[in-house]
Amino acid sequence: MSSGARANQPVWDLPVRLFHWLLAALIAFSWWSVHNHHTDWHIWSGCAILTLLVFRLLWGFVGSSTARFASFVRGPRTVVDYLRGRWTGLGHTPLGALSVIALLVAISVQVGLGLFAEDEDGIYMGPLSRLVSSDTSDKVRDIHELWFNVILGLIVMHLLAILYFRLFRRQKLTWPMITGRAALEPGVHPMRPGKWWVALICLLIGLGITRWVIAGAPPF
Amino acid sequence: MRIAILAASTAAAFLGGCGGPETSQANNAQANISDSASPAAAANASTTTNGMAMIAAAPSKDRALKIMHDRHEAMEGLGKAMKTLHRALDSSPPDINVIRAQTALMASAAAKIPSWVPAGTGPDVGKTRAKPEIWTQHDLFVRKAKDYLAAAQAIDAAARTGDANKVMALHEDVDKACKACHDPFRAREH
Repeated sequence: MSSGARANQPVWDLPVRLFHWLLAALIAFSWWSVHNHHTDWHIWSGCAILTLLVFRLLWGFVGSSTARFASFVRGPRTVVDYLRGRWTGLGHTPLGALSVIALLVAISVQVGLGLFAEDEDGIYMGPLSRLVSSDTSDKVRDIHELWFNVILGLIVMHLLAILYFRLFRRQKLTWPMITGRAALEPGVHPMRPGKWWVALICLLIGLGITRWVIAGAPPF
Repeated sequence: MRIAILAASTAAAFLGGCGGPETSQANNAQANISDSASPAAAANASTTTNGMAMIAAAPSKDRALKIMHDRHEAMEGLGKAMKTLHRALDSSPPDINVIRAQTALMASAAAKIPSWVPAGTGPDVGKTRAKPEIWTQHDLFVRKAKDYLAAAQAIDAAARTGDANKVMALHEDVDKACKACHDPFRAREH
């Protein structure tokens, strides 16, 4: 029957899934390390997140269809349509997309702040902290600490949304983020996969920019 | 069009991370005025509490709070010296006079650290990040303070030779000595 949902169709590509779980793990690790006297690990974790973010930004333009910002960043009208139940599609829902963008922006701000921060004892310095004064660097650290609450809030919303879908919509969102596959509603186009070598180039650019940042962003 | 908006907002996020801090520079001047007082505060704490830790009765509440406040200021002064030292070592050419001033402060303050924590100035008395372990494991604390004193004196001696490279070779020892005592004996910021 053509109206039936097609099971087990690709929805999240491997790069998106790796990005998601690595980001989740690194945020947890960043929190743990800085609270357990491992500020050096914390800084490396932040640099790894920087690489992920650069990768994700690029993959959002040249990746698989569900990874592209153009496919999920929509205006308010689409969000309203979605809330009224008039939206079908694959990937991020219009409302979920807002959460994704908020998380990406908030984490980018957090990494940006961390790069310019120094620790309270003057032992550890973010890779770009030399570009600003020590007083500025201290102030940035204060904001960096406060900003984590914004990220925590967004993570809580993210988890609550997943729980809501599980309990009230009978939709499992976590499993597709692991396997990459989900049932496809009728009439919805399947995911157009990106190319693995494009993902590799995005990753290399991410690593390159991160190395440049770790080097103190010469020649500035 | 939507891509453009997104690109702009993401770029703004990155720039926000970079540009934001600069605007806060002016606000900091005030916060750091207190640092200039810290060597004096350090000296003060040492003269009043020297050697009293183990024998004398706990100081009065007011006295204890004063000691804890001065101790905080002095430690912040040491942190400031570390930050200034690292930035001075990073700049080229390093300003040996700036470096020497920081290492001299470290060496003189390091000798006084055990006197900054007389009994009765712990978290049960007032707001402090000094952990009770300072008093329950006092021998270990004193040993860590001595290690820091040794590292501070060594780097100060290196600075007095006028050779920034010698200072550079020793700054990690100072980092480690700070951390080796902070990790077990200092509570998290609240």
